[in-house]
Amino acid sequence: MKVTIGFEIHEQLATKTKLFCRSPTNYRDAPPNTNICEVCTGMPGAKPMPVNQEAVDAVIAIALMLNCEIVKEPIYILRKHYDYPDLPSGYQRTSMPIGKNGELAGVRIWEVHLEEDPGKYDPTTGKVDYNRSGVPLVEIVTAPDMHSPEEAREFLKELVKVLRYTQRVREEGGTMRVDTNVSIEGGARVEIKNINSIRGAYRALKFEITRQKNLMKRGKVVKRETRAYLEAQMITKGMRTKEEAEDYRYIPDPDIPPLLITEEKIAEIRATLPEAPHLKEKRFIKQYGIKSDDAKIIASELELANAFEEVAKVIPPQLAATWIRDEVKRVLEYNGITFKESGITPAHLIELLQLVLNDEITLKTAKKVMELLPEKRTSPKKIIEELGLKKLREDSAVAKACEEAIAENPKAVEDYLSGKKEALNFLVGQVMRKTRGRADPAKVLEMLRERVEGRE
Amino acid sequence: MSAVEELRSGALTAEENVARYLEAIEARDREINAFIEVNLRAIEDAQAVDKKIERGTAGKLAGLAIAVKSNINVRGLRATCASKTLENYVSPYDATVIERIRREDGVIIGMTNMDEFACGSSGETSYFGPTQNPAAMGRIPGGSSSGSAAAIAANFADVALGSDTGGSIRNPASHCGVVGIKPTYGLVPRYGLIDLAMSLDQIGPLAKDVYSAALLLEVIAGYNPKEATTLRVESVDYTSKLNADLSGYTIGFAREFEEYTSPEIIREVKHALAKLEAQGASVVEVELPNLAKALPTYYLTVFVEFFSATRRYDGRRYGYRIEEVCGEEVLRRIMLGRYISQKEYSGKYYKKALQFRSLIKKELLEALSGVDLIAGPTTPKLPHRLGEEIDPLAMYAYDLLTVPANLAGIPAGVIKSGEVKGIPVGLQLQAKPLDEQKILNAMYALEGG
Repeated sequence: MKVTIGFEIHEQLATKTKLFCRSPTNYRDAPPNTNICEVCTGMPGAKPMPVNQEAVDAVIAIALMLNCEIVKEPIYILRKHYDYPDLPSGYQRTSMPIGKNGELAGVRIWEVHLEEDPGKYDPTTGKVDYNRSGVPLVEIVTAPDMHSPEEAREFLKELVKVLRYTQRVREEGGTMRVDTNVSIEGGARVEIKNINSIRGAYRALKFEITRQKNLMKRGKVVKRETRAYLEAQMITKGMRTKEEAEDYRYIPDPDIPPLLITEEKIAEIRATLPEAPHLKEKRFIKQYGIKSDDAKIIASELELANAFEEVAKVIPPQLAATWIRDEVKRVLEYNGITFKESGITPAHLIELLQLVLNDEITLKTAKKVMELLPEKRTSPKKIIEELGLKKLREDSAVAKACEEAIAENPKAVEDYLSGKKEALNFLVGQVMRKTRGRADPAKVLEMLRERVEGRE
Repeated sequence: MSAVEELRSGALTAEENVARYLEAIEARDREINAFIEVNLRAIEDAQAVDKKIERGTAGKLAGLAIAVKSNINVRGLRATCASKTLENYVSPYDATVIERIRREDGVIIGMTNMDEFACGSSGETSYFGPTQNPAAMGRIPGGSSSGSAAAIAANFADVALGSDTGGSIRNPASHCGVVGIKPTYGLVPRYGLIDLAMSLDQIGPLAKDVYSAALLLEVIAGYNPKEATTLRVESVDYTSKLNADLSGYTIGFAREFEEYTSPEIIREVKHALAKLEAQGASVVEVELPNLAKALPTYYLTVFVEFFSATRRYDGRRYGYRIEEVCGEEVLRRIMLGRYISQKEYSGKYYKKALQFRSLIKKELLEALSGVDLIAGPTTPKLPHRLGEEIDPLAMYAYDLLTVPANLAGIPAGVIKSGEVKGIPVGLQLQAKPLDEQKILNAMYALEGG
């Protein structure tokens, strides 16, 4: 049975002010109902201010990154009427399509719109917080081109990557909202609302497809309806049928003249666009000769990719790539941050890798320094100095540690001499501990072997 | 001597000026019902203006008493829209026009009565009771800016603000025998004006004479960065350019006006035309074949936009859900708007209305292209007696001659041209966008003549 999946994705734009007023958008940092004015609370007599150009530009940039054509005809801002406590004027403003007929990762993008977010209503307390009311959103509507929850998940991951690349959406995450349409051959299309993450979309689709298949197995009809995804229970629940569908009574907002996007504007924004992630990946493989797996991981974040290119100017590219894939990503994932948020700079990475290449620190030390970079936010050299991690060059100190290790562990010496070669590794470990990792392990091994075997 | 001159010469203080109006309101407004709320701080405000006059720092409107229609936000006063829906809504902010008036030291004397949410042409649909016509007692004052026009006619204020969506300044100005101007759409900021139909609404002045109407208009007009439909007009100066010499003016009169207007009104209009000719203007005939189509076009637009505008009165924040407490006419418009904006009808009604609107606009601008002004009647009939039952369509018909200016976004002014049976009749003058000066000059000529 063929499954068909399409999406409507909303994401907040990274603008400083709201779409139709100049109230700030940092609604999460502000106490409830403080980032508001007459306009975004729909006071009687308030009028929308001229549209936030930063938000329009952001949607154009996103539409271009999704390979859309930009609409050149007048683009009306529509009023979408519905009655809900979080909607202070009784309508939400949403633009007619700004971009059309795009494509991403094999999925057609039908339309890209500009919209405003409503406030936040808490049904348990009955309270409304209008701080979010009027925050600009981009709405992306895809064709039903996905055929499994896995495919749908892959698409969403790719989309999030591209949106982040544009640097026009909010960085802190958790602001994406997804509506999905899913149908199985022979059944009606069901819309699922209230999904807030990629994982949520995947689970909702998994559940919904099983539900529909079970209905069909039992000979029942899958009816056209809108369902809500219940995050906590990981199920979908009926909201309304087609007959109950709301009529939004769309009208062009009489308070707002239509948007007109010029060729010059499009060219100006196109010039600022970053290279798309999949193109970047290909170029990295070709230009730097790095492994394709490494290229994919490096290209997953724009700032990381840019950092790689800086580092690769000085450091052998494959070393840089391996280091970024293994060490930088490890540290980022451990801290749950992006490269941008980590404060790590290309200069830091170059300095660190040069110390390794010049044999001034051990790999172990380099890894330790890597872990400290996001916290210390200073140069690797300073961290090394501060913690006294410089590689021990004088053999005397290492030799002394070797002597000590041998003297303190006669059992290990005996074992080695009686044929258990791995016992020497224990002694290496002891020496490394005594030198706090600053000795070169290969060198230590050699020195120990000389000494132990010399005793014979 | 007018109040403006008296105040400027120092013969009258702001406090004295405001006090005499407050006394008049106290004495006679029980009968007229022009005000919903009087500004209790008006005297205090006037005293502050007097200090500025003494220091020589007072603005253009220094000490003038200004009445404000109850659909315009004035901080601290109630913008009720004469509806139970907003009975207890105290404005937390000033409309842009109020900010501008305060900057020029006008004194807000109170909030005037009106048709509920500006839905009406008679002043009778107010939740706070109907307003009398001070110029023709027992008759309607017209509407919806009924209280603002009546306040001027009853000598309760120097000037007043009204709003005009399809004639709501011009219609009561005509019936009450005062000066009223509906400016070019986008010339006067709407920020702070409570919506009837957003694509048609304009705030404008009502006054006893042309000079003070021009003065108030030049204070409130001009570009407002806070709204999206504002025009890029930086500043205007009408008063210094007022000129009663109409040599070189061509004034059009449409034959269709006679078709829809009672002959006694046409007679007064023709007298006025003759006066304009005497001031140097030449009168020619113009054609407006689609004049009658303006009315249905207008009402379809109003119903849909008004429905949309009233969604915020959902009972959650302003005390009442509008549908539960509003009057019959407001409810009728909301229900019709809800009906014709349905998905299945949107093409049929609202979009058709938008199409006809462009047609009417084109026709009017074409007619105006060959003339400086179009002069004609304001209303097709005389105001009916207060309380007289008339059906909704007959009520809508009052607007037949005023709605085209709103649909086309052009300016239009009304000035008393005469009386029929003791009832004032106003001449309406329409002009090309931003030609307010020509309208003012022609009215100035009539006033002097």
